[in-house]
Amino acid sequence: MPELNLEGLVHVYREGGVREGGVRAVDGVDLRIGPGERLAIIGQNGSGKSTLVRHLNGLLRPTAGRVLVDGVDAARMTVAQLARSIGLVFQDPDRQIFAGSVLAEVEYGPRNLGHRGQKLRSAVETALAAVGLEREARTNPYDLGASRRKLLALASVLAMETAVLVLDEPTTGQDERGVERVRAVIEDAHRDGRTVIAISHDMRFVAEGFERIVVMHAGRIVLDGSPEQVFRRDSWSTLESTFLEPPLPAVIGERLGLGSTPTDASLIRALAQSSA
Amino acid sequence: MLGGIIGPVGLVLLAVVLPALAAGVLRGLVRTSLLLTLPIAISALLVNLFFFPGGQQVLLRLGPITATAEGLEFALEILVRIMAISGAITLFYLTTRPQDLVVDLERRGVSARVAFVANASVQTVPAMVERAQQIAAAQRARGLDTEGSFLRRVRGIVPIVGPVILGSIGEVEERTLALEARGFTRPGSRTLLWWPPDSSSQRIARWGLILALVAIIGARVAGRLG
Repeated sequence: MPELNLEGLVHVYREGGVREGGVRAVDGVDLRIGPGERLAIIGQNGSGKSTLVRHLNGLLRPTAGRVLVDGVDAARMTVAQLARSIGLVFQDPDRQIFAGSVLAEVEYGPRNLGHRGQKLRSAVETALAAVGLEREARTNPYDLGASRRKLLALASVLAMETAVLVLDEPTTGQDERGVERVRAVIEDAHRDGRTVIAISHDMRFVAEGFERIVVMHAGRIVLDGSPEQVFRRDSWSTLESTFLEPPLPAVIGERLGLGSTPTDASLIRALAQSSA
Repeated sequence: MLGGIIGPVGLVLLAVVLPALAAGVLRGLVRTSLLLTLPIAISALLVNLFFFPGGQQVLLRLGPITATAEGLEFALEILVRIMAISGAITLFYLTTRPQDLVVDLERRGVSARVAFVANASVQTVPAMVERAQQIAAAQRARGLDTEGSFLRRVRGIVPIVGPVILGSIGEVEERTLALEARGFTRPGSRTLLWWPPDSSSQRIARWGLILALVAIIGARVAGRLG
């Protein structure tokens, strides 16, 4: 399982944007992500989250700084090589899906990695079952609803069985059942010892499903810690300055003087203890 | 022998290259129009050079086929024409914002429907290119090795073409519905809140071009008849 290390990562978009020198989307990020970690990256639109994760599999190359995958500079590897260990699910499934059937779409990644026969079949079946699309294998992806197309995009990367799973806004546009599926997928991946990195705007989702949360603002990391640390009262002003709100249980817990309770479960626990 | 193309070349320089230079888009113009016309230009050159009917002055013999001076002259004439057409169209695309075009068309009384079709077709191309690039990036993220090999890259592009075109058509359809929902097909005239500025020098240049066009057609017709 690889360790990921970002050292002084800077990315400047030259084209478009501010005429003088482009847009500095990532502005000096140092981040170490250990094997098997569950890390959520939050921040307002344009804070550099998507730009950051696209460096992990080499789709973007640093303007300055380095990305190390298990100590090896990612600059020395092609995107196809990095794809063997780092799977990235894009935010918009329609900018990812291209095959004529659900099955062909999910097979595409593992085939590129050289999987064939039983190994390919079992990877595809497992991925489809994980997102609940096992009965739609022959369906054309465009006949699926938006929420299930998003799950298909997730399955198509899951089937590659990469050690690191990067999800860009996995719950956006999902109904409650879809969010539950995504949660279960992350849980399974974590149990298998895989690293999961997710970008999200859903505070409840990140507080409940991730041990570590990184908050980005204007291309920099402004908070980095557990949900309890990131959503406790001391951090609220920083969160506010990035237009983020702590999840409701965190606010209730602080108001009642119960300490940092970012999830429903932790709030209920604290309430039970205080009344006991 | 090249007398026939001096006029057209001069025209391309005057009406395409010079304005492109002034607008600072010459480099983009050359690149785009070359990309658009290279295949057709090469085939036009080869076909006319070697298979021009009735060519007498032999330049080169390659087995059963011969290149003739008459063929070369005709091929060059065709090439200049292709350059003029593709250069003019590319120059228009590089210097005109689609929004300006639509607003100006409407201001001149063209129906909003026609203006929308003009706009949609112009805007769809960059949108399609962007979508294709993103799907290609997603393919690479799923292990498609495109680095270094042209053939591999082509192998990735072929399956994208269908979904990209269908997706773009879908997007246009959705935009049409959104416009419809905002009363796009309402009859009667509209009030424009903004239109592109039109300087007197632009107006003079436009009339000059129209007069030049009439003059050229006139000269051609007179030449034919006389």
